[in-house]
Amino acid sequence: MPKIEVNERQFFDLLGRVRDAASLEEVLPGAKAELDGWDLAGGKPGDSGASERVIKIELNDTNRPDLWSTAGLARQLRVLDGAPVPEYSFFSREGDERAAKYTVKVESSVAKVRPYMAAFVISGKPISDAMLRDAIQTQEKLCWNFGRKRRSVSMGLYRTALISWPVAYKAVDPDSVSFVPLGMDAPLTLRRALAAHPKGKEYGFILEGEPSHPLLVDATGKVLSYPPIINSNDLGAVQVGDSDLLVELTGTDLQAVTLSASIVACDFADAGYEIQPVAIEYPEPTAFGRRVVFPYYFQKPVALDSSRASKLLGKSLSPDAILEALAKAGVTADVHGQFIQAFPPEYRNDFLHAVDVVEDVMIGRGMADFPPERPRDFTIGRLHPNEKISRKAKNLMVGLGYQEMIYNYLGSGRDYVERMGVDPEGVVRISNPMTESVEYVRPSILPSLLGSEAASARAPYPHRIFETGKVAFRDSSENYGVATRQRLGFLAAHAEANYNEAASVVAALFYYLGEDWSIEESDDGRFIPGRQARLMRKGTSVGVFGELHPRVLENWGVTVPAVAGEIDIESFA
Amino acid sequence: MDARALAKSLHPLETKVLLRYGPGDELGNARLAAELGYKEGQSNQAFSWLGAKGLVEEAGRTTRVVYELTPLGRELAEKGTGEERLLRRVAENGPAALPELAAALGLEQKDIGSAFGQLSKEGILAMGEGKKATLASGKASPRMEAVRALLERAAKTVDGILGDESLSAPEREAMAGIARKRGAGDSAFRAAERETIVYRLSANAPEAAAALRELGVTGDEIGALTAAMLESGSWKDGTFRPYNVGVQPARLMPGRLNPYGEFLASVKDKLVSLGFEEFDGSLVETEFWNSDALFMPQFHSARDIHDVYRLAEPTSAKFIEEPYLSQVASAHENGGATGSRGWSYAFDREFTKRLILRSQGTVLSARALTRAAVPSKYFGIARCFRYDKVDATHLSDFYQTEGIVVGEDVNLRTLLGFLEMFAREVAGAKEVKYVPGYFPFTEPSVEVHIKHPVLGWFELGGAGIFRPEVTEPLGVKVPVLAWGMGIDRMALMALGLNDLRELFSDDVEAVRLRRASFSV
Repeated sequence: MPKIEVNERQFFDLLGRVRDAASLEEVLPGAKAELDGWDLAGGKPGDSGASERVIKIELNDTNRPDLWSTAGLARQLRVLDGAPVPEYSFFSREGDERAAKYTVKVESSVAKVRPYMAAFVISGKPISDAMLRDAIQTQEKLCWNFGRKRRSVSMGLYRTALISWPVAYKAVDPDSVSFVPLGMDAPLTLRRALAAHPKGKEYGFILEGEPSHPLLVDATGKVLSYPPIINSNDLGAVQVGDSDLLVELTGTDLQAVTLSASIVACDFADAGYEIQPVAIEYPEPTAFGRRVVFPYYFQKPVALDSSRASKLLGKSLSPDAILEALAKAGVTADVHGQFIQAFPPEYRNDFLHAVDVVEDVMIGRGMADFPPERPRDFTIGRLHPNEKISRKAKNLMVGLGYQEMIYNYLGSGRDYVERMGVDPEGVVRISNPMTESVEYVRPSILPSLLGSEAASARAPYPHRIFETGKVAFRDSSENYGVATRQRLGFLAAHAEANYNEAASVVAALFYYLGEDWSIEESDDGRFIPGRQARLMRKGTSVGVFGELHPRVLENWGVTVPAVAGEIDIESFA
Repeated sequence: MDARALAKSLHPLETKVLLRYGPGDELGNARLAAELGYKEGQSNQAFSWLGAKGLVEEAGRTTRVVYELTPLGRELAEKGTGEERLLRRVAENGPAALPELAAALGLEQKDIGSAFGQLSKEGILAMGEGKKATLASGKASPRMEAVRALLERAAKTVDGILGDESLSAPEREAMAGIARKRGAGDSAFRAAERETIVYRLSANAPEAAAALRELGVTGDEIGALTAAMLESGSWKDGTFRPYNVGVQPARLMPGRLNPYGEFLASVKDKLVSLGFEEFDGSLVETEFWNSDALFMPQFHSARDIHDVYRLAEPTSAKFIEEPYLSQVASAHENGGATGSRGWSYAFDREFTKRLILRSQGTVLSARALTRAAVPSKYFGIARCFRYDKVDATHLSDFYQTEGIVVGEDVNLRTLLGFLEMFAREVAGAKEVKYVPGYFPFTEPSVEVHIKHPVLGWFELGGAGIFRPEVTEPLGVKVPVLAWGMGIDRMALMALGLNDLRELFSDDVEAVRLRRASFSV
């Protein structure tokens, strides 16, 4: 979930009104957003200190990157508040191209590493501090969340005045080209920049193993940037007060790159900047053509059957009512009989299906328009057999004097394997554990119970504890190679604990569960030889119990005798 | 404590002392033994309890010498001393040589020697003809009589102890010959020093005694009611000693359910009462069921290596069930038959088989869809696993509560109707509000916020209508409501805790002592 900071003054200017916290909290859900923090520092919303303050906002919709900026969020709220859906005349469309003063030539060498690019120029006024900050924040949120940590989209800003056109986008041998990366003072080869620059360390993984690396250079060969890693220290060093900035995005997903460019362009346009198109010339045709002038509108209209909307929302809505609701949510549409054709706004591409349009209808009308309705379908509720058998077993264990415990299912190899002396082959191991303490899934409840015993030496004795819960272990007969089972585990620890006590518990359990059972000799290393038994039911082993081996107790630092048992109760369910 | 209350709290051992003695009486174990029939342990208890209540005080201590009968002494008392037996033998069987006598009496040569020496010295026996011991006076000496008296008196006492003060002068002299302080194994008595405490009733004892008399308590009331009393009916002749009911009772450690488990069970019961059937499943899942089937694109950021746990071995399922695999893959790539345009990428059929620990309970909903009847309702409280640093508000494994409602006519308003039922019935909320939400697998999506009587406004859960890209590839043609509830905060409050880790505590004592208060 992206969190953004918006400049209070800029936000309210774009919103067209000042709101206090309560009023903001009321309208933010319309953008699936929440107020995350707003330190007024003793001032009042929108007062003279507003340009120095920020409002923190959390955005919940990971498929609406257009909301992750001051201008984008303000736009959504403005429209919901009744403002007209904005129009952006600088977009080119299929068969309707805007004139482009600037050109970038894409060379075929980037096709394998990072094939796509979009760009435009913002002009008309110098960039303000708030706008530059917001642009940098937008770049971070867009490229991190939507652009998958810059893998599919990254972005750069440049001073157009220093650039000789046309610009070339190509891939080069990372050892053959040097430039001064942003924030440094000496030229480095691309490969050195990866190792030496903080951004190189952070994003170098994207280019790992690539023989040629992307590079953006102007007509005189000066480096603009090394996408997706870092800008150059001259053309790519943008400061407050600069005007005529080139905004460029590269990536591996043409639609994501194009949409990101559209979002940034609309944000600047809302803030009063003029957007000048840039033509990108590809060596081969792309899905949008060989020569594409950006910003480019590529989205397709989505058809919605008004009866589907009515059915999903539980409220009969006419096509015109739907049209009106969509306009309120910022979506233009037209009516064809009972169908509505919705046109995704330039900065959105989240209409995958007609149901996505239905949600905008819901938002446009407001939640209050949909009173909750009691469900009418009759269905019979029931517990899962595992839960039923577990409850039976729990009641019996409580009657036998045992305290129920509830444990975590992840643990260390030390606890689940080494201390128990079991074969690690049978235990499910995690390949990317966050720490060693959560590297394995428990194959048995016994280590959990022993962990309790080890941690509870100061609790008055006797200790009689149990758990019903799940274990998982390797089982090659399963499609996943792993079996999950519902089990009961128990442990008694006190000075007189012995085999007979465990045997009595097992006998009582099976008697009241109404199960026929028998025991066989067992040679489980966790128990003392000759003082353990395997539980048999209908010819299969369903558990084991006995006196825990002193070696195991010693491994756990337990210094009182203990007996334990574990039964697969799922097989009774 | 007033005298009456004090009197009621007294044990019979105390009562009898208070009733019997007055100020100035010097009390000790010997006296209580003689006059009240107390054993030493009972006297000690009586003095200790009375002392704790301020009813007796120590008047002084005296040291006395005591003689304790040894096991050998006890044997001698019974069978006779060597001297006695020697004298009896010679008197009854006539003169005999010492070795002969030793063999007949089963005594050591040296013991016979010293016995004869002593008797001969006292003129009782003499060495006669043929080195045979013969009778002289033939009459036991006063010393021998004193020894006999000591042995028999000591053997009759309960503890085999004679106080030095109880001995006559000849006895004391005789005792010197048969008692030793150390290494007394070969002697009849062990000599020791004992400290004796002398008590006196304190100034407030008469008041307590008066209260006892007033209450009619004698100390002979019935204590424990025994089976023998019931059988004989002897209880009819007595009165029952009242017990001090204010005493802190002994602690029991009963078998008990875990309060967190009880809380989860209560939520399950509530959902069952609302017509939901419980589902359950594997802890290990595939990327397919965990996320792909839920229409989360394979490049979604929540599917990164830093968000889900992957298995080291095996790494992949053998297969994914058809036709679900193909149908889900098409939904991702181009929408398939769902009317969606899909995510426009090449679905990875190897990645989808990768094994992970299930990261969301919704995986069970996806699986339930493949066999769901119309109408039907399912729920589960499923253990899920997340790549999270464990702290007070995050766990790496924890429970999620979720479910689905399948029906021809379910819609946004019935979804809100369910959420309202959960809020009121399960969470006990009085006020409920809904706001638009976002989940990758539902559209439209809403969040439900409730005003809890204690916690205030908070997000109870999220819900929505499953996208057609989720339901249709799994064979469901009707709308499906999907919901999830966060019940952890309610659980913490119900258990009086503020750290999620406590829910899974391995501390036996903490869990044994934990109490719960919840109404669901």
